[in-house]
Amino acid sequence: MARFCQGESTAFDALFQRYSRPVHGYLTRLTGSPSAAEDLVQLTFLSLVRARGRFQEGARVKPWLYAIATNAARDYQRRSRRPEELTEQGELPATVAAETAGPRDTGLARTVQRALELLPEGQRIPIVLHRFEGMSFAEIAESMGLTESAVKVRAHRGYARLRELLASLREEASE
Amino acid sequence: MTPECERVLDALGGPLPPELAAHAASCEDCRALTSGFEALEAVPPLPTPQATPGMEAARRKTLEELAITPVATPWWRELLMLLATYAMVLGVGLSALGRAGVVLNSASPVVVGGLAMLILALVGGGAYVALAPGRRRFRWAPVAVGAALVAILIVLGGSGTAPARSFLSGLMRCVMSEVVLSVLPLALALVLLCRSAFQPVRAFAAGLSSAGVSLFVLHLHCSDGTVDHLMVGHIVPWLLLAGVALFLRSRLRTRNYAP
Repeated sequence: MARFCQGESTAFDALFQRYSRPVHGYLTRLTGSPSAAEDLVQLTFLSLVRARGRFQEGARVKPWLYAIATNAARDYQRRSRRPEELTEQGELPATVAAETAGPRDTGLARTVQRALELLPEGQRIPIVLHRFEGMSFAEIAESMGLTESAVKVRAHRGYARLRELLASLREEASE
Repeated sequence: MTPECERVLDALGGPLPPELAAHAASCEDCRALTSGFEALEAVPPLPTPQATPGMEAARRKTLEELAITPVATPWWRELLMLLATYAMVLGVGLSALGRAGVVLNSASPVVVGGLAMLILALVGGGAYVALAPGRRRFRWAPVAVGAALVAILIVLGGSGTAPARSFLSGLMRCVMSEVVLSVLPLALALVLLCRSAFQPVRAFAAGLSSAGVSLFVLHLHCSDGTVDHLMVGHIVPWLLLAGVALFLRSRLRTRNYAP
């Protein structure tokens, strides 16, 4: 990161090679659209270059990059979706579009995905970063600008709420 | 969440040590936690994107940007630029309004000086909160408490004397001066705010800070020290301008998503 801050393009290339695909996957999960995610990857890395003077010495690159990506996705949702497509709190719905679904896209997968969508953003983002991006709680805390214990409380509540939502969605489906 | 529950949370995705497994089996919270975590296994993994033209274009465009500005500009330069603009507006405001004397506030010099220092601290602190990259999110509470403290002390520190002019004309002069002197600082603060991700608390702090410049000028220059005038003519417009900054920033396009 230090070499990148001094303008070395090879250092940037290394960062891009390492993180562009995981960030693309993360943005696809947040926006539900691989093509929108592609545009947001560009905005994320442009932000990384333009704002590298804001990177604090001793901080980790990955949480900072994911914080930028989350902000870009949130802004994209605010600007491109109609208000009724946002949650009641004006937050990101975590939809994954049908075009991204793989062969394992069963009824159960859809129910779980729906339950994930119903979580508030404050619980959903830590869960997505933890479960799908493999980030530690310390990294998630750094990315979200929260303390590690606050992130753990959110994740704990989120996972527990997810089970409740799944139970009620299954009940609905069986009626 | 007990320490054991926290350890279960940390160990999710891997095998639990026997003592933790026993706790997870007996604790209702941990059962909910682990079953929520396991349920996500049903969500299909996303296909790894290949090197698409879009991704290659993103890489190329970012490299072009890097070539244009190879050396990173430290964030504090923008803070210095904002503070220098504040200082310039403050100087212009005091010299334009203070032809009959810069300090017309008839409260005791200690009160006038103390409050002036407090407002300057708010202006500097607000600018810092607005522009500094923080590892932790700035919270509303300290910003709101700081603003309320300054507002209360300004009202309480008024001289209580009213000049020989109508309440309304004095009010209009102060409100107009506060708005006019805030235009440039507010505009620059908004431009700089758009260079980082939108955070409402930052935008509000920027508004308090940029409108604080004119609040400082009025504090020294205005000879009306009555509670009504200070409230309606100085404090309310100051807070409204901070609200305007928050509203405008929420409408402006973000140029950069860095926190």
